[in-house]
Amino acid sequence: MNELADRIGARFERMSQDELAGFQSKALTRTVAQAAKSPYYSAKFKEMGIEPTDIRSREDVSKLPFTTKNDLRLSYPAKMLTVDPKDVIRMHTSSGTTGKPVAIFYTREDIDCWAEFMSRSLAMAGATEKDVFQNMTGYGLFTGGLGLHFGAERLGMWVIPAGGGNTARQIMLIRDFHVTVIHATPSYAMHVAERMLQEGDDPKSLGIRIAVLGAEPYTEEMRLKLQDLYGFKAFNSYGLTEMNGPGVAFECSYQNGMHIWEDGYLAEIVNPETLQPVKDGEVGELVLTTLRRTAMPLIRYRTRDLTRVIKGSCACGRSHMRLSRMIGRSDDMLIIRGVNVFPSQIEEVIMRHKWLGGNYIIQLTTAKALDQMTVKVELAKDIFDGSMEALKKFRAELQRQLKEQVGFTVNVEMAEPGSLPVSEGKAKRVIDEREG
Amino acid sequence: MYNEVSIFVENRPGQLSKISELLGNAGIDILAIDVADEGQFGIIKILTAEPDKAKDVLSAANMAVAFNKVACIDLEDRPGGLVKLTKALESAKLNITDAYGCILERGKRAVFVVKGDNLDAIEAAAAKAGLRVLEGLE
Repeated sequence: MNELADRIGARFERMSQDELAGFQSKALTRTVAQAAKSPYYSAKFKEMGIEPTDIRSREDVSKLPFTTKNDLRLSYPAKMLTVDPKDVIRMHTSSGTTGKPVAIFYTREDIDCWAEFMSRSLAMAGATEKDVFQNMTGYGLFTGGLGLHFGAERLGMWVIPAGGGNTARQIMLIRDFHVTVIHATPSYAMHVAERMLQEGDDPKSLGIRIAVLGAEPYTEEMRLKLQDLYGFKAFNSYGLTEMNGPGVAFECSYQNGMHIWEDGYLAEIVNPETLQPVKDGEVGELVLTTLRRTAMPLIRYRTRDLTRVIKGSCACGRSHMRLSRMIGRSDDMLIIRGVNVFPSQIEEVIMRHKWLGGNYIIQLTTAKALDQMTVKVELAKDIFDGSMEALKKFRAELQRQLKEQVGFTVNVEMAEPGSLPVSEGKAKRVIDEREG
Repeated sequence: MYNEVSIFVENRPGQLSKISELLGNAGIDILAIDVADEGQFGIIKILTAEPDKAKDVLSAANMAVAFNKVACIDLEDRPGGLVKLTKALESAKLNITDAYGCILERGKRAVFVVKGDNLDAIEAAAAKAGLRVLEGLE
């Protein structure tokens, strides 16, 4: 663990379990009292007969109501605001695809706190003030851009706010300013690498040390592939607009699960059907309560992200609990012929194959009243040796592994290199054209 | 031995147009073209006097391109012109897996393109029968 990481996180990251419980209990009490100042929660608490003063310890969280994305939508624009509007210094919205977005508000203290979580996250991965940081995601309402930006500045890195897109310029800036830390979506990092390879350039020559990958789901195989291509260490990052943005949970240098900042977020993992806590270590939906937010505290927010707690203590010495990489979204789950399928399961299989590019599409159709799943994959440009037999063998092997993974026969279609869409935001991989 | 250019394509309208346009713009003449189809995708094989240039042009357009080794045998373009070669291969007990031909000069010269498990032996058998094995198609 580097000295800087130790210094900036010292106050919280090495608390004993008792200290942490005490801190969380106090913070929860404060959060509930603050939440009660918003029109939404004051009505909700009244309706449920909850007195904010009833909440005395973190165990009392189970008495509190869940908050869903839909509750946030219905509260648009500002029914969850708890402070005088003059004290708000910024807002962000989540990337709502339909209807009203979700708006999140921040006081100066909230922005500071978020920057602290983010800078602690970056320091935990090994970044220091000596690093040059290129932020390769969009800025604006999307929290990823400004979130990482403020955290990197707080840490003291040299920050290049490149934003998304314009690949040629990204590569130029990385080279000319000796960038050592980047933030990008995994699919965009893949796109940049593919572009460089296409031009006969080696991504390793960039000298990037650390990559923060986030804003879209991706598999361990994809991470390994990117690490291999660039020679950097890629760190999984977890965050969501509703919980400020990035910097909720982050990997330490051991890269074995993400430490969730328990001084900022009270985490529960519940069964998405029953809403009861799962057994320790079991997969369930992550539910989060903000502990250090003033303008807009959120209580028991259902993230829809599926994860599990990694048991045991981490070799880095931090006491904050570790979460596994997100296994999927409880609402991304596809039901195909009655079988539950997560797109991440398909991706995992695809990433095993060196002869494929990173992009893929899952297409669902109906034929003879049965669900059909077609997976479109991209042939890697340099793997083609002119032989039809090799292609047929590849396809048959992929088909066999996919069937093994999901339990039914999957059609495989092979696309030309670079022909499938690369998304610079959240990659859209599923096209559902089923009847009925 | 000679390099035939093979290109991986998805099976959809316009693929041959794309390739012939790219090669045409680069001034590359297609001597023969062959399409192997697997339903959803296929491999287009092209015989040209400039295989290296063709590969570069197509690869720059982000297509998956490779060379296949073939034997190109120079034949007389007349009825029965192929027999000399096929007899030579038959008596040497050599199998071929794929073949096609094209005329270089009408009534004079043709080239027969052969693929097989043992290209060296095929070339040797052709040479022994007095046929010319081509290393270039200029």
